[in-house]
Amino acid sequence: MSTNTSTQPKLAAQIRDLTKHYVLKSETVRALRGVSFDIPEGDYVAIMGPSGSGKSTLLNLLGCLDRPTGGSFILGDDDVAQMTDDELSGIRASRIGFVFQSYNLIAQLSVVENIEVPLYYMGRLNRESRQRSTELAAMVGLGQRLDHRPTQLSGGQQQRVAIARSLVNDPYFILADEATGNLDSVTTEEILALFQRLNDEGRTIIMVTHEDEVAQHAKRIIRLRDGLVQVDERMEDRKTFTAEQIEEISKNAHAANEADEG
Amino acid sequence: MLSLRTWILGVKSLMLHPMRSALTILGIFIGVASVIWLLAIGEGISQEAQRQIEDLGAENIIVRSIKPPDDAGASVRNVELYGVTRAQMSAIKNTIPTIEQVVPVRELKQKFIYAGNQNAKPLDGRLVGCSPAYAEVTKLKPARGRFISSTDIETNDSVCVVAAVLAQKLFPSADPLEKAIYLPEKKEYFKVIGVLEPKNATAAIGGSLSAQDFSLDVYIPITTMRAKMGDEEVRRASGSFSRELFELSQITIEVESPEEVPRTAKIVEATLRLGEEDRQDIAVIVPYELLEQAKTTRLMLMFAFGVVAAISLVVGGIGIMNIMLATVTERTREIGIRRALGGKRSDITNQFLVETISLSVVGGAIGVLLGVVFPFLVTGARWLTETLAPETYDKLPSIAQNLQPQIVPLSIPLAFSISVVVGVLFGLYPAMRAAKMDPIEALRHE
Repeated sequence: MSTNTSTQPKLAAQIRDLTKHYVLKSETVRALRGVSFDIPEGDYVAIMGPSGSGKSTLLNLLGCLDRPTGGSFILGDDDVAQMTDDELSGIRASRIGFVFQSYNLIAQLSVVENIEVPLYYMGRLNRESRQRSTELAAMVGLGQRLDHRPTQLSGGQQQRVAIARSLVNDPYFILADEATGNLDSVTTEEILALFQRLNDEGRTIIMVTHEDEVAQHAKRIIRLRDGLVQVDERMEDRKTFTAEQIEEISKNAHAANEADEG
Repeated sequence: MLSLRTWILGVKSLMLHPMRSALTILGIFIGVASVIWLLAIGEGISQEAQRQIEDLGAENIIVRSIKPPDDAGASVRNVELYGVTRAQMSAIKNTIPTIEQVVPVRELKQKFIYAGNQNAKPLDGRLVGCSPAYAEVTKLKPARGRFISSTDIETNDSVCVVAAVLAQKLFPSADPLEKAIYLPEKKEYFKVIGVLEPKNATAAIGGSLSAQDFSLDVYIPITTMRAKMGDEEVRRASGSFSRELFELSQITIEVESPEEVPRTAKIVEATLRLGEEDRQDIAVIVPYELLEQAKTTRLMLMFAFGVVAAISLVVGGIGIMNIMLATVTERTREIGIRRALGGKRSDITNQFLVETISLSVVGGAIGVLLGVVFPFLVTGARWLTETLAPETYDKLPSIAQNLQPQIVPLSIPLAFSISVVVGVLFGLYPAMRAAKMDPIEALRHE
């Protein structure tokens, strides 16, 4: 069922026989019925599946927002399944980079402050971290907008802030939940190009999506159905951006920024 | 993790809704200011009461004669003597060793006219027969001229000393000294030998007596009064006719020391009531005891005002809680984001607590500020009324004219710390409710 990844020396995450049951009134909903797979470092995975497939449940478990009913989820050396609420918070702050569909920036904070939030909860705010946040903002092309508020930014810009935020704690993996769902096709390309660039640099990315267009940019697709892994396959004809395209796209994005400024 | 950063963030979040935050602050500010104001008013009232009582003299015992209620059947010819008598006064003076001196007083309501202008409208006032010691025990000070002397007493002189207010009214444009006052009812003349300094009213003494007002008094030697007017008062007013018979209106007994006062008062009372246990025509007033009572009253007043003020603080607190509950609901998604990005439950609790504490601290600080300037506000408001609407001002009760609020120093830290406690207490529930949210649900919240 799962791909043999024993050739990969290091795992970003390892999932074994993960189950999750919800008790709703009298009936028990078995959202996940035993899911196992490994995420090697540097992988780029798209998790797909129709609604009711357990996709959201798996996402919540991968994001350490919830605890499984059974099975194990090994993140680094720790089994997340056994952790307390506060320990899970610590894991979220230090090992996971979230990117959401609706960006989820905090309205009263500036761009750079938003990027710093995970560090704030790790208690690691200092001059160096401000430096790092500024660099990340520059990396996603928002170096000129450090003091802007989320409401002053376009959707694509907000999502790039969110991506910068997801990187600030140097996470085990980036967990993107329908990250392009609210964006038009041009901006979607922009974000996907950014993901590819990050993955090329060695970042592990887990992407939950229902759009095949988007999923085709991943190296691997895991399809869920009725709480089980239906397909787990490497993409042979993966869509990629060439280095020139990435440069072109980011140049355009930056140009759009400057136009906004004007 | 209550770092500076958390506080800055809290203030930023509050600034998102300036109006809402300002109104919440207003609630707390009113609470804090009212604690300080009410306590200051209470303190002002009781200090005024204590001053009035102290003016009676803590080492004095006052015996007042009380006119019996008018008996419709009482014969006009047959009028009974009431009140303290000269004989009783001597008995007290001569038998009780702790007594320093006894000062007799006889008071009559009279009309007065400046003798140099007899067509003027007669002014109502009070004719007081007294001895020289009266000035000392009642703390009367002559502003000009002198008070009654013992020579005046011995020679039954027709001299008088006039209180400041009455002197001003009787002699609007002339120097009263050496002028004569005419009493139309008694057909007597008195020469003015002194004018007193203005004096505030003292406390009401005894259940049946109103506050002693010294502003319209004319003092004459008590011997002169007895010689010229006797002990009987006959009063005719529009056809009716009343008589009363009394020797003294009041005796003021000065005791060696305040500690001896309660004991001496008991003996005085026993002496006066000898053979007539429940006589109603005298009242023994002990300012020292009144002072003790006033202290108890002060505590009760403080307590009552404190409770009222505390209620307003609680109302302010409920305002905070209300607004924070709304805020928490409104910011559910933010809570979800913060939890997803690694915020612990305690971080969320702290974040919202910081906001309520900020609100209540700012409210408390403004409240303290306005509380402290309150006495000046009162003075200002009084001055304004006096300048803009003098008639209205004159009609105000004397308490409104004279009351000076006294800030109770303790009330400032008290009010401020209560406001902080209120902020924490009423902020705790919304903050904990925020922290309890399931991050997944919160993230899904629109």
